[in-house]
Amino acid sequence: MTHILTSGIELPASDAIRPPPAQENRVRALTGALFGSTFSTLITLIGGALLLVFAWFALKWAIVDAVWTAPGGSAACAKPGAGACWAVIGAKYPVILFGAFPYAEQWRGVVLIALWLVWAGVSIFRRVPALTKIIGWIAIFIVSIILMRGGIFGMTYVGTDQWGGLPLSFMIFGGTIAGGLPLGILLALGRRSRLPIFSALCTAVIEVTRGFPLLVVLFFAALIMPLFLPPQLNVDKLVRAEIGMIIFFAAYAAETIRGGLQTLPLGQDEAAQALGLSYRQRLLKVILPQAIASALPSLFNDIVRSFKNTTFFAILGLWDILGATKSALQDPEWVKYSIEGYLFVFLLYFVICSGLSLYGRSLERESLSRLRRAGK
Amino acid sequence: MTTQPQSTAAMPEPAIVIRHLNKWYGQHHALRDVSLRLGAGEKIVLCGPSGSGKSTLIRCINGLESFAEGSLEVGGVALDGSSAHLREIRRMTGMVFQHFNLFPHMTVLENLTLGPRSVLRESEIEASARARALLERVRLGDQALKYPGQLSGGQQQRVAIARTLMMRPQVILFDEPTSALDPEMVQEVLEVMEELASDGQSMIVVTHEMTFARNVADLVVFMDKGQILEAAPPEVFFTTPHTERARNFVRQIGHAA
Ligand SMILES: Nc1ncnc2c1ncn2[C@@H]1O[C@H](COP(=O)(O)OP(=O)(O)OP(=O)(O)O)[C@@H](O)[C@H]1O
Ligand SMILES: [Mg+2]
Repeated sequence: MTHILTSGIELPASDAIRPPPAQENRVRALTGALFGSTFSTLITLIGGALLLVFAWFALKWAIVDAVWTAPGGSAACAKPGAGACWAVIGAKYPVILFGAFPYAEQWRGVVLIALWLVWAGVSIFRRVPALTKIIGWIAIFIVSIILMRGGIFGMTYVGTDQWGGLPLSFMIFGGTIAGGLPLGILLALGRRSRLPIFSALCTAVIEVTRGFPLLVVLFFAALIMPLFLPPQLNVDKLVRAEIGMIIFFAAYAAETIRGGLQTLPLGQDEAAQALGLSYRQRLLKVILPQAIASALPSLFNDIVRSFKNTTFFAILGLWDILGATKSALQDPEWVKYSIEGYLFVFLLYFVICSGLSLYGRSLERESLSRLRRAGK
Repeated sequence: MTTQPQSTAAMPEPAIVIRHLNKWYGQHHALRDVSLRLGAGEKIVLCGPSGSGKSTLIRCINGLESFAEGSLEVGGVALDGSSAHLREIRRMTGMVFQHFNLFPHMTVLENLTLGPRSVLRESEIEASARARALLERVRLGDQALKYPGQLSGGQQQRVAIARTLMMRPQVILFDEPTSALDPEMVQEVLEVMEELASDGQSMIVVTHEMTFARNVADLVVFMDKGQILEAAPPEVFFTTPHTERARNFVRQIGHAA
């Protein structure tokens, strides 16, 4: 019995090299999705109409009928037919932005905000060496403390209980990252340490901290910790709360960085050892740069979250920008226009947080393009 | 060649002396009474079946692995648990890995200068100048500013060799330097290694490249199950191996080649 071969080939009809066939164009795909059947046409029309109506009212309220200035007080906003009362921001911005900081000294807060925004702008550029950026941030942080605190260079002294608003939010945030990132790295390395006691200690700090809500950590740091400290050691409430914030951030950052460390192939450390590098050199030049680069996406989540967490300071009576807004809007004259005030602050948060996210995304792309493996 | 200390050839002292080395992984006796001597300027090719302990042995030499019994000396310095000695031995030995292990976040140039700048405290200018000269030697002069991920496997391995040479090692340990490479790239790496060998570089090479062993090795050492079973010059080893296991091994790699 002969076997009949069913496998086979057919030679190509021509050996022309062609461009790929045209893709279905986007507009056509979208039209198909929106108006493909009677039902989807109906939904599209109703949905579209609702969207338009909503957009119209929103626009009318927020822009067309809005009251932008009210030189004579909130009466201007009470007129019938008036839309959003943005005048509330003009009237209340000193408290919204600077909290209880003495009015006459608020230029100090303005300088602080300007410094932070300018240096944040500078920091975006890759051309600027990382060391310059870091030294700049440290200098700005020190200047910020001097500006807020005063007491030298002819500036009047302002206690931390009067600090508030955006400068306070910036400083809580900056301090959290500046203190929490190095601590997080140490905790992550400690957890991997070969010394069992040290590793157990770091693991305990990380897990216990992560087991509590931030609110509890802050309460503990601000209110309960002083009970255990000797009374002569009078640590400022803001500093105590900041310590809580730093430890909280560090615990999360430590786990993120540990994840980054685990993705690193063992061969990297071995190659560095074979070159004769010391433990510290291996860590700083080979291991951490790669571990942090691969942890960057999640690390930026932690960082953005910690900016949002600054709002928790309000419960300790420290008026970050949200807390300051809340107290500003308690003024009976303007209390009706709280929505506008909050919308303004939400916009501020949105801009800052998306700015941070976008920056994180661009760092990520940069390190990806470096680590790209050719053909692998 | 200038980077090679010719004086090593004049040194009477052997580059590596290993006596009665024993190592265990848990209960597994990974190295069994291994004794080996590498003369200065000489080349040993280490071969044997998979799992025979070749990697383990050469990783013991630069302290990437520890051992339980026996003694090990590199350039007269004993690997005895003293961290100063370990540092000195790592300075004298270079290692080239199967998977290159270049630092992906650094350019080729930075990969080369990291060691000299951190360990030898060379200036950036000095280290870069030497790096560029070495890259020319491994025929990668135009790749200095690329990242490892942008290079082919063969190019990466040549960078790794140059990175090792930057430290002016007395001995270089190669652990299967060509077995992760596509066949067409094996030759370019072997050529660089043969040049090094003819310049008088002492080396121990774990490889199954028989042609390379024939051209370069002063001694072929055969390992199996953690033991050294025999050692002979390549022309003897590949034609008339003594032991049954070595005969099987030579037959197998002969078929594969
Ligand atoms: N870290 C380790 N833990 C436990 N066992 C190990 C470890 N490393 C190696 N071994 C075992 O030790 C033995 C020798 O391994 P080694 O890697 O030295 O072999 P090799 O000769 O290099 O093999 P190959 O040709 O596959 O690279 C093997 O049985 C291996 O399973
Ligand atoms: Mg091996």
